[in-house]
Amino acid sequence: MNLAQAIAYFLREAVQNLLVGWRVALVAVFSIAVSLLTGGGFVLISGNVARLLDEWTERARLVIYLEEGVTPAEREALEARLAAAPAVETWEEVDSRAAAARLADSFPSLAPLLEEQGSVPLPASVEARVDRRSSRGEEWGLWLSELAALPGVEDVDDDEDWIRQMEGFAGIAGTAGLALGGVLMAAAILTIASVVRLTVYNHREEVATLRLVGATEFFIRGPFYAEGLLQGLLGGTLALGGLLALHGWARATLPGVAGPEGPLGRFLAPQESVALVVLGGLAGLVGAVLSLRRESLGVSETGENPLDI
Amino acid sequence: MIQFFHVTKRYPNGQIGLEDVTFRIPRSQFVFLTGASGAGKSTLLKLIYRGLLPTVGQILVNGRNLASIPRRKVPYLRRTIGTVFQEFRLIGRRTVLENVSYLPRILGASPRQRRQVAEEALDRVHLKDRIDDLPEHLSAGEQQRVAIARALVSRPEILIADEPTGNLDPDLSREIFGLFREVNEAGTTVLLATHDRHLVEEAGGRVLHLAGGRLASGGDEVGGGGAPGVDS
Repeated sequence: MNLAQAIAYFLREAVQNLLVGWRVALVAVFSIAVSLLTGGGFVLISGNVARLLDEWTERARLVIYLEEGVTPAEREALEARLAAAPAVETWEEVDSRAAAARLADSFPSLAPLLEEQGSVPLPASVEARVDRRSSRGEEWGLWLSELAALPGVEDVDDDEDWIRQMEGFAGIAGTAGLALGGVLMAAAILTIASVVRLTVYNHREEVATLRLVGATEFFIRGPFYAEGLLQGLLGGTLALGGLLALHGWARATLPGVAGPEGPLGRFLAPQESVALVVLGGLAGLVGAVLSLRRESLGVSETGENPLDI
Repeated sequence: MIQFFHVTKRYPNGQIGLEDVTFRIPRSQFVFLTGASGAGKSTLLKLIYRGLLPTVGQILVNGRNLASIPRRKVPYLRRTIGTVFQEFRLIGRRTVLENVSYLPRILGASPRQRRQVAEEALDRVHLKDRIDDLPEHLSAGEQQRVAIARALVSRPEILIADEPTGNLDPDLSREIFGLFREVNEAGTTVLLATHDRHLVEEAGGRVLHLAGGRLASGGDEVGGGGAPGVDS
């Protein structure tokens, strides 16, 4: 029997076994699906958070609010400071009118209020784009303090704290997802191992006959490995389908969150989707390998094993 | 040819299966293996197809020392040895064709080839017309004939049978025994374990008799006499 024939035989037998014992197989498929759905959900969330972080990082700004009566000399001193800082890439001055226009643009409901006030309540500022790779650590913090202490500067605000918090959240979410997914995956692998072991037990007479007529271990074990693999692939596919359905549902009901522009708007990338299904298959295969350790198939030559011929 | 040289088999629990057994069965001989329950008949047969390894001693089957065959090569040894058991060991959910054609399937035969060799084997046991039935639709005698066909499908050099008539009435036992004679006349070495004294006396020929794991008689006889198809 060549390899292609063997694989076709393994798959045929595995499908037959799954159909015969479909109730038990379903438990294994669902357990794999739940673990991958959980893990996939965390991947989806942390992927979106990472994307948002990238976007925010790309737009990382340093805003220096100026005092109302700032003098041209003070402005020049400030600009000299910015020019001397390697982390600062570009900067522009936003006067109080432009700031008010921006606010009205971002929050149209506040526009009438701003018009009613007459005078402009927003301070002028200097907005700088910074390179985050060079704007971390104590030195940067010190530089910011010095900047804030300059005459004519009212306050300094950078996105660093916010981004750092979000990075922390993304890290925790990713770790928690990995941990939870790992625990659930281990449980799913053990479930598949038990299901395959049960199938082996139900086929013990056939295994004994196969061994008696001269079947190799590869031929005997192949269908059981294929069964684990199929269960895992089915579980992975089910998880992917479930994730897609949940994301679609979230998109429809929470467009602000899961819509195309929302913070959870991006679904798994095609390669991540394929990886989810492949991971299911691998988990199934590992479960089958665990269940078919030498002793369980009665390969011992002592004659004591109930599955031994 | 089967040769045992001072073979002892002790199980891990201390029970002795065989003790210092030596004999030689030449090619194409028909040999009965007799003894009470627990005398060591099944142990001896398992040692021949390497279902067990001896604790002490050497076993040669068709010139090959079984102890030196690596585990992964054991299936190839077993393809040269047909085995039949008292309890038939047919798979209930498989048809007669599928039960008989395990080995052809392992070897990658096409469905048509599998059917052809199964029909040939079933023809030898006069059961060709039941090829598509499930075992449960066959009588006990027919099921045992299917088991024999399964053992014959590889055209084995050796056929060993462990109490093959133990579940059958005297008439069916004679019928099954007749099949073993036919197989032996075609050149296959047959080793048949039984405690059916009438069958042995009726057939005559070489008898290996075990008692308490030891070979009580028949071990020094080489070539035998009177049994069908004796020696080459």
